[in-house]
Amino acid sequence: MTQIHSIGTTVGTMKRYRRTRKQRLKEIRELAFMVITYVVMTGVAITTVGPFVVMLSASLTKNLRFIKFPMRLLPQPFTLDNFKLLFEKTMAERWLFNSIYTATVATLGGVITSTAAGYAFARGDFWGKEFLFMLFLGILMMPSTALIVPLFIVLSRLSLVNTYTALIGPWFASMFGTFLMRQQYLSIPRDYDDAATIDGANLWQTYWRVLLPQLKPTMATLAILRFMGHWNDFLYPMIVTSKAHMRTLTVGLGTVVRQGGDAGFDMSGAVLGFLPTFIVFAIGQKYIIQGVALSGIKG
Amino acid sequence: MTQGFGAQATAQITAHRASRWALFKRSIRWYPFLVINLVVFVIFNLVPWISMITTSFTDWDMLTPSEWVGLGNFQELFTDELLRISIANTFYYALMQVPLISIVSLVVAIFVNRRLFGMKFFRGLYFLPNVTSIAVLAMIFWRFLSPRPDGPLNYLLGLVGIPPLKFLVSTSLALPSLVGLAVWGGFGYQMVIWLAGLQGIPSELYDAALVDGASGFKLHRYVTIPLLRPTAAFILVTATLGSLQVFASIYMMTGGGPVNATLTVAYHIYRTAFIFGKLGYASALSILLFAIILAIAYLQGRFLRFGEDVY
Repeated sequence: MTQIHSIGTTVGTMKRYRRTRKQRLKEIRELAFMVITYVVMTGVAITTVGPFVVMLSASLTKNLRFIKFPMRLLPQPFTLDNFKLLFEKTMAERWLFNSIYTATVATLGGVITSTAAGYAFARGDFWGKEFLFMLFLGILMMPSTALIVPLFIVLSRLSLVNTYTALIGPWFASMFGTFLMRQQYLSIPRDYDDAATIDGANLWQTYWRVLLPQLKPTMATLAILRFMGHWNDFLYPMIVTSKAHMRTLTVGLGTVVRQGGDAGFDMSGAVLGFLPTFIVFAIGQKYIIQGVALSGIKG
Repeated sequence: MTQGFGAQATAQITAHRASRWALFKRSIRWYPFLVINLVVFVIFNLVPWISMITTSFTDWDMLTPSEWVGLGNFQELFTDELLRISIANTFYYALMQVPLISIVSLVVAIFVNRRLFGMKFFRGLYFLPNVTSIAVLAMIFWRFLSPRPDGPLNYLLGLVGIPPLKFLVSTSLALPSLVGLAVWGGFGYQMVIWLAGLQGIPSELYDAALVDGASGFKLHRYVTIPLLRPTAAFILVTATLGSLQVFASIYMMTGGGPVNATLTVAYHIYRTAFIFGKLGYASALSILLFAIILAIAYLQGRFLRFGEDVY
């Protein structure tokens, strides 16, 4: 009896042992795969972020004609002279103001008009709705580069070249934003509209007081995407501004770097162009990645 | 009888008018919500479109009055040697960039999609170049591509025994260097879209495939790949659209050179219009670029069944 029992235990132990061995192999494989994952991910991270670190380091180094490797990442002596020089020699502060001003107005305008137009497309029953919807959808697909020359012609005929109106104008409505908002409205039950109507609200009150507050997260996503899009836009602001004092920051910096001078000086310009979007990104990272994913999900 | 018929018809017309009136009354309430979008559309889209077509039939340098030349500009397209070079360069660029960025971003997305500690952090890091202006990226990358042997990239290549390369000053390496910038600066965006696609695959489908006896590679062959088709279509179409319009990196780093090695269609248009002041011909070129992009997007859409659902 005891023997049988002990045999049973032995078999049990063996079985258990065999299972643990298999498990351990699996564990080792998983561990190896995990290590590989982290190694690869770190490698990619160094490739993506490394150049920015070099940029920052070079911008704080004095008299750096070329970036040479190997370089010391902690500059000695540490200096802010490049930035001082940047603000003295170029119109960087004016460009910074232009970018902040136009990007802010363009973002606010674009988000508000998107919520309004999205509301009309989601809830409205008006003549020409299908047609306008297809029209807007078509614009979204248009290659913007092909329209650069005629846009310049039209804006110069309207004598809008070198104005804030030109820098803000096309951003004051967003076809992508309109679609995004329309989708969001469609996910809100119509009961809200009905309740508001019964309480005597008109369309504007329903839009502003009842539906808009529910769209705040989407509005934040759209706002950040629009702000960054405007800030980083290059071809269009370059075409519609010819005077140095009307340039946006990225375009202005672009004209500086094409002269290819001192590396530290150039990199101080790069840092100035980099920091604002980096800060916005650091704050709103969740919204940005959500927004990008949203734009891809439905195609 | 006739009178009755007439009355019926009148009633119908009245009803029709009433319904049109009702439609008008219903509609008019909604237009104010759209009015800014429409104004922006007219000024910044519709009018430029019309102007592009009308200008393409003229010779115009903005200083002297424009001159009607009929189809002259379109005839010039066939004899323009620079256009031929720029189209070849643009396709070469797109054929390098689109597969490279799509594959790199997919591989990274598959890694980052694993449920491991810190993956969200990595995603954030990889997205960083995407929120940075192309002007800034080009400034940094230009420094890294220095042809000197102690330039950053040449030094790193030297560590693995590759002799210094000339990058942007070499006719054969300039365009691939620009592809490098595009991949470095853009793979994070594609990665996020691949991730959304990967995470959109319901885990039940994997369970079902496991029950049916699929495992390992087969699981991906019969579940992941077919279900990622819409994502892949989106990525390929948008990446192609972007690469065919490449401009900023060229403007910043090479200016079309050396010896037109990086002259793309978009840059050719820019030069024709704003450096040589030939706005009529630039408009014809714009129409051509638009037609090329539309044709390719259409073919890709058909081939990849863009916009269709998988189920």
